[in-house]
Amino acid sequence: MRERTIIHLNIVDFSVAVERLQDSSLRNRPLIIAPQAARATVYDMSEEAYQDGVRKGMGLIDARRRCRRARVLPPRPEQYEKAIQCCIRRVLPFSPLVERAHGQGHLYLDMTGSHRLFGPPPDIGWRIRNTLRNDLGLDPIWSIGPNKLIAKVGSRIVKPCGEYIVAQGEERAFLAPLPLSLLPTLKPHQYSRLRAVGLSRIGQAAALSRQELSVVCGRRADILYNSLHGIDPTPVQAPAHSGRRFFFQHYLAQDSNREEIIRSAVLSLAGQAGYALRRQKLACRKIIIKLLYSDGMSCERQAVKKLPVFLDHDLEQSAITALFRCWRRRVRIRSIGLCCRDIFPQIHQLSLFKSINQNNRKRKELNRTIDKIHELFGREKLYRGYTQ
Amino acid sequence: MIPLGLHSHYSLLRSPTSCDALCRQARQLGYRTIGLTDINNLYGLWDFVNGCDRYAIRPIIGAELRSNGERAFFLVKSSQGYTNLCRIITGIHQDNTPLHSLPEKRLQGLVLLSDHKKLLTRWQEMELDIGAAIIGRPDQQGSELRNHARLLNIPAMIVADTYILTRNEKRTLQILRAIAGNCSLSRLPADQQMNTGKQLLSPGEYEQRYRIWPELLRNTRAIAERCEFHGPKFGLVPPPYKNLGNQDADHLLRRAALAGARQRYGSPLPKKVMKRLNHELQIIASMGFSSYFLVVRDIVRPVSRTCGRGSGAASLVAYCLAITNVCPIRHNLYFERFLNPGRTDAPDIDIDFAWDERDQVLASVFSTYKNHCAMVSNMVTMQPRKAIRETARVFGLPAAEINTITRRLSGFRFQRDTGDDLHAQLRATARLRNCSFAPPWPEILARAQELIDIPATLSVHPGGIIITPRPITDYVPVQQAAKGVPIIQWDKDGAEQAGLVKIDLLGNRSLGVIRDALIQVRATGVHIDEHSWRPEEDAKTRQLVKKGLTMGCFYIESPAMRILQKKAGRGDFEHLVIHSSIIRPAANDCIRTYLRRLHGEKWQPLHPLIADILSETYGIMVYQEDVSRVAVQLGFSPAQGDRLRKIMSKKDKDGQLADFRDRFFQAAAEKKLSQKEAEGIWQMMLSFAGYSFCKPHSASYARVSFQAAWLKAHYPAEFMAAVISNQGGFYSTFAYVSEARRMGLRILPPDVNRSEIAWRGHGRELQVGLMAIAGLSETTRNRILQERNMEGDVKKFASLLDFLQRVHPADDEARALIHAGALDGLVEKPANRSQMLYQLAQWQQSRSLAINRLFPPSAVPPPALPGQHQVERLRNEYRVLGFLCHTHPICLFDQQRQRLGTILARDLDKFAGSREKIPFLGWPITAKIVGTKTGQPMEFLTFEDETGQVECTLFPRTYQRHCHLLHTGAPLLLTGTVEQDFGALSFTVTHIAPVPVTGKRHKEKPDYHQSSETRDTIA
Repeated sequence: MRERTIIHLNIVDFSVAVERLQDSSLRNRPLIIAPQAARATVYDMSEEAYQDGVRKGMGLIDARRRCRRARVLPPRPEQYEKAIQCCIRRVLPFSPLVERAHGQGHLYLDMTGSHRLFGPPPDIGWRIRNTLRNDLGLDPIWSIGPNKLIAKVGSRIVKPCGEYIVAQGEERAFLAPLPLSLLPTLKPHQYSRLRAVGLSRIGQAAALSRQELSVVCGRRADILYNSLHGIDPTPVQAPAHSGRRFFFQHYLAQDSNREEIIRSAVLSLAGQAGYALRRQKLACRKIIIKLLYSDGMSCERQAVKKLPVFLDHDLEQSAITALFRCWRRRVRIRSIGLCCRDIFPQIHQLSLFKSINQNNRKRKELNRTIDKIHELFGREKLYRGYTQ
Repeated sequence: MIPLGLHSHYSLLRSPTSCDALCRQARQLGYRTIGLTDINNLYGLWDFVNGCDRYAIRPIIGAELRSNGERAFFLVKSSQGYTNLCRIITGIHQDNTPLHSLPEKRLQGLVLLSDHKKLLTRWQEMELDIGAAIIGRPDQQGSELRNHARLLNIPAMIVADTYILTRNEKRTLQILRAIAGNCSLSRLPADQQMNTGKQLLSPGEYEQRYRIWPELLRNTRAIAERCEFHGPKFGLVPPPYKNLGNQDADHLLRRAALAGARQRYGSPLPKKVMKRLNHELQIIASMGFSSYFLVVRDIVRPVSRTCGRGSGAASLVAYCLAITNVCPIRHNLYFERFLNPGRTDAPDIDIDFAWDERDQVLASVFSTYKNHCAMVSNMVTMQPRKAIRETARVFGLPAAEINTITRRLSGFRFQRDTGDDLHAQLRATARLRNCSFAPPWPEILARAQELIDIPATLSVHPGGIIITPRPITDYVPVQQAAKGVPIIQWDKDGAEQAGLVKIDLLGNRSLGVIRDALIQVRATGVHIDEHSWRPEEDAKTRQLVKKGLTMGCFYIESPAMRILQKKAGRGDFEHLVIHSSIIRPAANDCIRTYLRRLHGEKWQPLHPLIADILSETYGIMVYQEDVSRVAVQLGFSPAQGDRLRKIMSKKDKDGQLADFRDRFFQAAAEKKLSQKEAEGIWQMMLSFAGYSFCKPHSASYARVSFQAAWLKAHYPAEFMAAVISNQGGFYSTFAYVSEARRMGLRILPPDVNRSEIAWRGHGRELQVGLMAIAGLSETTRNRILQERNMEGDVKKFASLLDFLQRVHPADDEARALIHAGALDGLVEKPANRSQMLYQLAQWQQSRSLAINRLFPPSAVPPPALPGQHQVERLRNEYRVLGFLCHTHPICLFDQQRQRLGTILARDLDKFAGSREKIPFLGWPITAKIVGTKTGQPMEFLTFEDETGQVECTLFPRTYQRHCHLLHTGAPLLLTGTVEQDFGALSFTVTHIAPVPVTGKRHKEKPDYHQSSETRDTIA
């Protein structure tokens, strides 16, 4: 198998880092990113606040009690998005294969075969770090490994700052003494099962055969076996290859179980999805709504149309159907996600009879006009109003 | 206008309005007659009747009946109608009887109002007294109904159909509907929003509203006038005796009592006995309660072990009939406390049965008196904790967030008369100091406050049962409780007001403890003759009681009681009777006076007139009947004295007590008592009557206490096994295990080859039962025993695989067994629980694979897994069992104890009275929050280590500062001084801190340079 070189960049506490870039007075004090609402939860926090016991998802009141000296700022997702795009632009010259990983501020770069172009991988790591630090003021952790898994574990053990390099062939030795909790692919139930049989280090679990591991962890033991041995064949995927998928999320400033608020948020998400689809001349058949409740439980349900749709009206209908399929509890909702699946190019079927589907024609025109305004002046300049 | 179809909060979760508020509001609006029709029930009948009486309103009794989508208002015209209504309501609860199928004879004596056209047509054919109910407003629907009424030639009338009194209650009503519908306010269905027409209006507003149809007002008045029934009047309804034959009950009772007396006292009967027996029998006969005694005797007779409780134990007749077990003559028990000729309410005989036998007793009563008996119900009202929890759920808060508030509300009571709202009172509560109450909590608390005391559900009274001469549904509607027994629709106060005589058949854990301990003792070959058993005369037992070493013993095991025993230093029966009644809230001054007098202080009675009555209790009022007896001594009749005693024991006594106070002081003046003396006696009566027990009750319980103490003194292992197995004691299993260890018993861990379901004690060993393993189902427990004792042969489990294949436990059950150590005996020693868990997983996997295989896969030896770390092993054991078998968990903190220089519990006496501040590391066992005289909270806690228990006191200031650290279940580092009072030690805590963690916590980082070698080592 060809030797691979993967760099994992992790800008720790990404949103805090971005806020500090924009206001240098924030650098010397703990910072909590959370909406300014009575029942808001922590979106992100600085290392100092973390050391005081603040965690993501914790109630802001509790977080403030734990870290009274912290300054609290509202989250600005659009700023963070801009910042990560800037980072991607800075690292693209080093590799066309840049994957934006789950979570903020994580990037994987496939540097395989780039030795002649940019020099040895550690040099590339340093150069990327210097570029980001000099150009953007962001100081990422970086680690190099023969695959994404090893690179990620390398970053985890040096957090909150530093770098780590693992060479090909050293994967097992590198992982063996580490606690199991550092293994990113390990599911919570697998972790507790391995702990139950007295295993606490990766090396101890790696000493089990595939068969023995399947006894303890059941299904998916093969994947875990590979992970325990430092094997991760998953490629670094550039965004263009990650499949066409539209996902939109709305965090409620204050969790709520009021129907009018939830409805309005879902309709707004459907509008965003419609705008994004129409811009790319696409349509979708399936709308998935995912609700995250305040107690951490989540639920998702879908609504499927016979034909692909792209107009706000149709998308809204599907979204509301999916919403009421999954909204069965009275616990407050913290965030709502809307995902469009089964994406197809738009098909315009001409009608034989002019009088048919006048409403549809009107809706198309309305959507076109609204989209134009959004394009020219931004989405925040025009909102749809909804009535009960 | 006469408002009919009103609803109170007894239409459960449909109205926030109490009957009293309804009557008061109706009176203020100018109504003289109102009709209450709660939905499918008569729960509020007596509250409504009393409220109408209070505000001089004529009540119309009725109910709104809903069944199978039909709805009608049934108003009672006569006693026959009332009986019919009770039967109809019972039928609806039993089998959801459709209203249209009710037979004609069942509908006599009632006025039937409905907006259901088909129902009206059917009832018109039967020529019943009916009317068309125009509900709400004169709208299109009402117009159609009015026309239909004209066609049928029946009157149409107004049914107010109200649920709230003021507009402000609308929101409360919506919250109630959201609670009932398990939804949020914004998703409350439209028909539950209660938007319009649900509020009680004034007569003028109704007249204005219906002025276009004036005949409706006339018809409504006419109907109301026909309803002349204003509440049932049964008189006293004692249970009937079935086996009378040709004899009368009085004669039969006399014969039975005399026969029983001869057995108790021998023949011929002593004069004293004969005289009292005649006196009692005469009163019983004159009041018509002979059959009552015979019925109770028949209930008790088949049961081996009972304990009469309450005032009934003062009756010699009850003692002779073997209903009670304490001789009223020997212990000077006052019969008039139980029954006197002037008593107008029904007395009740309360009997305790072993907790696990009581359901059989109840079943036998139900089968003997089929359709003539039911249990008394208990109306469960919303208390602050439930009101807050339910409202917060409606507001959509997550359970964890709600629990942070509600779990600290144990024992919290909302004080309406302070002027502070619920939010303010919670903020002032020390335990909730760390709660922020950020929005929406203020709104939740404001709404929850409106829900407090609103009935939520009907449950079963702990033991009250009613037996009636006619079918019970002639008296009161009956419905089925969730646990499957029939219950009447009134609580004990309602039953008492109706005259239905209640028998209390209660469950008592300690009777089960004594029974099981005796069975174990007998199994060892020792025979104890219970007829000649006199535990109160046994020196070893008296010594145990005297020293307060009575943990596990019925009624005398609480820390307060054991401290009192230690301070008193008396182990005899008579003093124990006093102690079990004198222990009560806010009686500290009296207890100290008692102890001083007990230890020789000279004292004078409050007045010579009452000296004799209180001589045996050192001049202090201890028992409830002391109130009646003192009152009688001052010139009250026994009935008046008893009435005074009863009023004093009620919570809302102020109104009724004023009159008695005047009479008391007048009587005292007539007997030449000074104002000061009279005031002194009155204050003592007030302080004691509210909480104290009657002497017969205390004496009856003291006998059971002595039996338990005797078993603990002579057969500790058998006794402790029975205490833990019967559960429900004052302490947790953890505390009882510690006590057993302190008593020198060895705790044998659970073992599938040795353990029974219950705990077993023998000699100096206590074998943990399978019941101690959390998560092990009853089915699996039984299967383990069944597999082990196949056809009488003991076939032990040979290996782990053998056990799994024979018992087939669920995965979590098998894990629990492994963690508890119950399977350690099936593997090679030392048992490696990691490997056992692996073998379990292997067996589970092979079992699922075996479905598609001809032969099950053979067992492969487990890999070499590291054993569980000791702390982790003990943590698992504690999680599953709730205690550790081989050690006290506090021993795991030895390092901290050495470092902090803490003192062990057994050494605390060396510091008594020294005022030196001592550190003590203790494990919390029990806690009790009390209020000081000024209303400040303080707490008594019991902590323990492996050497003993320490009774700790947290005075208000310390409590305020440290209460947030308590009740976590974790051990705590206490600092304080050791006090000694009458020879008993207590620890006054001045500072509390969590136990500091030993060593430094390091972030887990490997030594990367050594990583290759580490791998080799593991491999």
